[in-house]
Amino acid sequence: MENDLPQRREAAGLSQGELAEAVGVTRQTINAIERDRYDPSLELAFKLAAHFECHVEDIFQPEETDD
Amino acid sequence: MLDTIGVDTDRPGRARRVYYRVVYAIVAVAIVGLLAGMVVGRELIGTVIYCAGVWLGSGIAFLAPRLTDVPLQDERDTELYNRASGLTLGILFVGGLSIIPVIYVLEAAGSIETPPEVTGAILLASGLFLVWGVAFGVVKRR
Repeated sequence: MENDLPQRREAAGLSQGELAEAVGVTRQTINAIERDRYDPSLELAFKLAAHFECHVEDIFQPEETDD
Repeated sequence: MLDTIGVDTDRPGRARRVYYRVVYAIVAVAIVGLLAGMVVGRELIGTVIYCAGVWLGSGIAFLAPRLTDVPLQDERDTELYNRASGLTLGILFVGGLSIIPVIYVLEAAGSIETPPEVTGAILLASGLFLVWGVAFGVVKRR
């Protein structure tokens, strides 16, 4: 799953720790999501979308395949 | 709870570090206590220190995330634990499935004599799978 979380977070002037605190997870989890090493649960994805006042699919997109 | 032991809960990263350090330190003291008891011939005291440390560390690890709003563990930690547990069980399962029947057959044929350590390891692995099966059944019904 690809995402533009780093761009949105930086545009909002937030650190990873501040965003993590806002959505109730650890900084390491935000870091892992931003580096595409962890796909968040639906609950967390909706929390992130609510925080940035957008839809989940605005932040997260399925990875493009060659098929 | 973390408030009461002087952790700054306004800084979740620091609170999380303190939480892990406290738990690991208590368990480390427990293990050192057990080993020290064996070395100096005070096995009973070492065992008491070990049990107290493990129970205290486990208690803090279990209760602290439930008694504070600070995210000490989150969904990613849970997924990591689940993946590591699955990998461990998978390795044990494949290893056990390929080794245990061979040991039984060779022992029955009189080709080998199973040492008690191996029998103990087989029983331990079997017990682990039994506990896992029961836990899986409980979790599935909840």
